[in-house]
Amino acid sequence: MRQKAIKKGLGRTFLYLALFLICLISIFPYLWMVIVSLKEKVLVYQPGVIFFSPTFVNYVNVFKLHDLDSYMINSAIIAILNCLVSLVLGSMTAYSLARHKFRGRETTAFFLTFIKILPSVASMIPIFVIASLLKVLDTHALLITVYLLFNIPFTVLIMRGFFEEIPVELEEAALIDGCNHFQTMLKVVVPLAAPGMAATAIFCVINAWNEFTFAMLLTTYESSTVPTIVQIFKTVSGIVWGEMAAVGTVATLPVIVFAMIVQKHMVRGLSFGAVKG
Amino acid sequence: MSLLFIVPILFVFLISLTNYNLGTPLDQVKFLGLDHYIRLFTDTQSGFFHSIYLSLMFTIFGVLLQLVIGMACALLLNFEFRLKALVIGCLIIPIAMTPSVSSQIWKLLFNKEFGAINYLLEHTLGFTVSWMDADHAFLSVLIATVWQYTPFVTLMLYAGLRSLPESPYEAAKIEGANRFQTFFYITLPMMRQLIVLCLLLRTIDMLKVFDIPYVLTQGGPGNATQLLGLLIYDTGFGEANFVGRASAMAVVLIIIVSLFSLVLFRTMAKGRED
Repeated sequence: MRQKAIKKGLGRTFLYLALFLICLISIFPYLWMVIVSLKEKVLVYQPGVIFFSPTFVNYVNVFKLHDLDSYMINSAIIAILNCLVSLVLGSMTAYSLARHKFRGRETTAFFLTFIKILPSVASMIPIFVIASLLKVLDTHALLITVYLLFNIPFTVLIMRGFFEEIPVELEEAALIDGCNHFQTMLKVVVPLAAPGMAATAIFCVINAWNEFTFAMLLTTYESSTVPTIVQIFKTVSGIVWGEMAAVGTVATLPVIVFAMIVQKHMVRGLSFGAVKG
Repeated sequence: MSLLFIVPILFVFLISLTNYNLGTPLDQVKFLGLDHYIRLFTDTQSGFFHSIYLSLMFTIFGVLLQLVIGMACALLLNFEFRLKALVIGCLIIPIAMTPSVSSQIWKLLFNKEFGAINYLLEHTLGFTVSWMDADHAFLSVLIATVWQYTPFVTLMLYAGLRSLPESPYEAAKIEGANRFQTFFYITLPMMRQLIVLCLLLRTIDMLKVFDIPYVLTQGGPGNATQLLGLLIYDTGFGEANFVGRASAMAVVLIIIVSLFSLVLFRTMAKGRED
């Protein structure tokens, strides 16, 4: 008995140690960024200094000198609008893939996934050329549309599993009770699929907020999003680390807070309905 | 919807057959046929094969590391313990942190003179590594990428573990199976579908990775980390503006990615039917 208890205690210690390490490694770069953002310029080059009197001069600078707020607003507009459109269109597609057996169903599903596999560096060329011909470079609408290219397939991929989990009988019952198809969708299907939609929404927002390749190439100033801002801090004398870190801290905060709030749904959504119990 | 996807590919393919460069007036665009492709595959000096090799290595090692570490972490998370929400909260940070920003921070961490990693190494183990030189840059990009994306894999597999049915485990316990047997004969087969999906998503993303190496190393030093995505970007939008040739490379990249995903997607569709 006693040996077993000791063994169990050891196991626990090991578990907590491992978990602590996982946490530390996960947050270390973020933590470091926050520390650097509060340091004065000289201190950045002394990694050993962890206790110091924090300064907010970097934060003041990035809002004053670099218009961080306009980048943030652009990112927010693009991420939210993109997320809404992806959710509506993607869910509808996913629903029909889940419910209707039609010829070429798997092929359609494959092609949808295929859009996601298009490397951004590859689709970049035609999109850039088309956009410059249409004179829509550096607009919000352009980035929103481009992000739909990979967010809609992603939505379909997640939501299909969720819709398949909803028993068809529930919908049939609603139809018999006199709901039309639209009402059934709105009052039965959507509430049941809500956790999946929440999970999808988070990832759509994260994807759109963090996307770098297209944002860098397709925008110059008017609709530049947060990820492109890292480009600004390369100066002749090297990178301005303090300000860079301050930007990073502010820029990643909204998404991280958002993700923390909806943590539970996020984890649930990630099973993709791919494990059948 | 399908149009959205076919148009860009056709367009890339068309451009890849011409001498179009950014800014070329349309009436001077000439049809070259397969010239770009022939040059890509015959000119061994161009670095094209080097990039393909790098991308494949990067994908294979990256995906393997992410899956193995991700699975290990997911199994740990699956134990009952207090403060689980906190641990998951920590894991969410790499998922939500903007890759271009985190790559900049990794650049600072990897710095030879004032980077935190070398500082820690020097004070605990007594040596330092020049992370950004030609021998280590590939490893550095790999570490940053694995750090960024492993938590996604972890949470995905963890979500899968949570939704497994209990009865097979009870049966295994009665039969006297040990932990390893339970894992290999029960957990893995039941998770197969999800693991393949995970493989699919991660392989695609690793093959087309761009932002992390672009910010961290710009493909350098030399061409030590010139992954295919970076090479295409440099050829098409860098100093040279050879859009035609870049398109030809893009077509090759599309073909590689499609082959990988087709295989994995088949495996998944098969599993769905079973």
